[in-house]
Amino acid sequence: MVDAGTRRRRWTRRRLVGLLYLAPALLVYLAFAIWPAIHTVYLSFLHWDGILPATWAGLSNYTDVFTDSTLGPALWHAVVLILFFAVIPCGFGLLMTALLQGGVRGMTTYRVIFFLPQVLPLVAVGITWRWLYNEDGLVNHGLSAVGLGGLTRAWLGDYDFALIALGLIGTWAMSGLCMVLFLAGVQKVDASLYEAVALDGGGPVRKFFAVTLPALRGEITIASVITTIAALASFDLVFVTTNGGPANRTTVPGLLVYRLAFNESDIGRASALAVVLTLVVIVFVTAIRLATREKA
Amino acid sequence: MRTKSIAAAAALVLALSACAESGGGSPAAPSDVSKDLTTEPVTLTLAYTDDPPTQALVDAFQAKHPNITIKGQQTPFSDYVKSIKLSMASSTPPDIAEYNPGAMRSLVPAGLIYDLTPYEKLYAWGDGFPASSLEVLRSNKDAKQYGTGGLYAVPGALSVLGVYYNKSLATSPPPATLAEFEQQLAAVKKGGTTPFSLGGLQVGGFQLWNALYNVLGDEGQYRDWVYGKPGATIETDGAKQAARKVVDWVAAGYIPSSANATADSDAQANFTAGKSAYLITGNWAADAIGKAMGDKVGFFLLPQVAAGDAAVASGASVAYSISSKTKHPNEAAAFLDFMRSAEAAKVQFDTGFMPVNNDAAITATGLRADIAGEFKKVVAADGIVPFPDFASPNMIDRLTAGTQGLLSKQSTPEQFLTSLQESWTQYHG
Repeated sequence: MVDAGTRRRRWTRRRLVGLLYLAPALLVYLAFAIWPAIHTVYLSFLHWDGILPATWAGLSNYTDVFTDSTLGPALWHAVVLILFFAVIPCGFGLLMTALLQGGVRGMTTYRVIFFLPQVLPLVAVGITWRWLYNEDGLVNHGLSAVGLGGLTRAWLGDYDFALIALGLIGTWAMSGLCMVLFLAGVQKVDASLYEAVALDGGGPVRKFFAVTLPALRGEITIASVITTIAALASFDLVFVTTNGGPANRTTVPGLLVYRLAFNESDIGRASALAVVLTLVVIVFVTAIRLATREKA
Repeated sequence: MRTKSIAAAAALVLALSACAESGGGSPAAPSDVSKDLTTEPVTLTLAYTDDPPTQALVDAFQAKHPNITIKGQQTPFSDYVKSIKLSMASSTPPDIAEYNPGAMRSLVPAGLIYDLTPYEKLYAWGDGFPASSLEVLRSNKDAKQYGTGGLYAVPGALSVLGVYYNKSLATSPPPATLAEFEQQLAAVKKGGTTPFSLGGLQVGGFQLWNALYNVLGDEGQYRDWVYGKPGATIETDGAKQAARKVVDWVAAGYIPSSANATADSDAQANFTAGKSAYLITGNWAADAIGKAMGDKVGFFLLPQVAAGDAAVASGASVAYSISSKTKHPNEAAAFLDFMRSAEAAKVQFDTGFMPVNNDAAITATGLRADIAGEFKKVVAADGIVPFPDFASPNMIDRLTAGTQGLLSKQSTPEQFLTSLQESWTQYHG
């Protein structure tokens, strides 16, 4: 017989061993993700230029952030980008899944082609699209070729269309990710469910709404969360394509954080804005998770 | 992906915080200043980003002082401006660092770079360095007002903003007045060529406004504003006229409609490819433009309103500061002093810049002769003024976005200037 004390000791030791296995990853995570995040919150309460001794700022960085006239438009642009980075790609991904799920010939090729944008660094994507959107880039050549020469313009420099042009780059980059996630998801659906729908006289549309869509709930949640974060926290794509221009029509919060920290050496305000951005992301992600939660 | 970039930003902020808080609190000045240099072998380190001219200047200096070795550490510009402040604040900073006002101003109140006034007196730098080139490197103790106070860097090569023209597209000789230039623009436009290439995505846009303001505005008012003199304003008649001129030129079709999507390098490429007749930029581009266009290109300063008015043009310098932690301040100062020598002048000119010592004899032909001749005019009139983004830390963003508003016909000259003044007041007010 083993008495209770020995059992507890064994149990404690096993837990310690478990922690030991966890330690390397945990330490890296704490040092490079958790600690910087906490430190950013701390910095957001300071006035600090990076060199001179920091002074306590209280909430003044936050009041600055909220009274700054550039924040409102930047947040709005990020919300518009959600449409292009998250809503359209998820819709497109679902459509492609519905079309491809029957086992189309050359499936792997499709998957590779659509997933390719995910593999490319966004900086390279941005530079390539800058060429495509150029005054004599491929997009304008295409428009001219089909008789729409009157529409041609330098898209990323256009006051009204720059944000949309930027968003479409995101659509291009994100659609493949959604599609691959969804295609992987439908693999696990029991084929008998589709048979059941067919026996009831349901066609492909019915199959999609009755079986595929509910089965993909988890994948849709993940895809929306990833792409929404990408939209709200976008920086690199904007930085290399428009840098917020023309006339601040494509500024996003991430770009403002960068400018505050590195152009203006205002670490406190940059951190405050970063904290606000994080909270916005959390709000959106929570909303998505609540909206897609399975009713108990 | 994007979440990664946030994590990276957070990590950078952390890195910033890890090495900081070492600055003192009051400006530093060297003691024991002397022209007598050691005869022992010494090694100085030099952090810089602009090359040319830095390495060639170092080589020329070492040839003259064989016992002094200067070890260069070059960093690409965008990284330089982010890291130099930290490396100057570290316990082993470089002895000499290329000066960047935006990135390094806070080193002045922190006492991390020397006030060079004692050396200025010792070496009589007023002789050999154009007064305007030193003025812009002066700052008061809390680095809020410039053009006055201590001297924190010394120029090692100069540059000036002007107009490059394609000799086969811009028919007539360089214009003598602004009105004459506008006639030429109209003629070029009529001939079917868009007169300007313009990099509105980056700095090209506001440099056009800047060049016009140099011509149309009051030089003193402009200087006061850039230097942060209390009460100064950019909402002046001259600045308004300059902005209106930009708007007029857009309406007249002198500026390509794609300007806001065009980077400076693309604008330059368009110009050298013969897509436009004019390009406004500095002589730092002279080397590349000259190579691409040979003798088909010339250079003039944007002409004044009336022929014979004193020349005014924006210019900048590649300048060097001395760390207050250096063990060899006298040797470092000798390197700075070397910048006004005839040997340095040759290096500066040969590497595409304007020589610091304007009296040094220069022989050149073609584009380089054009630039040297025009530059001499401005220096003689003491008309080199700093660039407007010098005025406050986020001015460059206001300038870029504001000119983009003008170029896309979405904002008025008044709105543009109000936004600039707002940034100025936030920092200096």
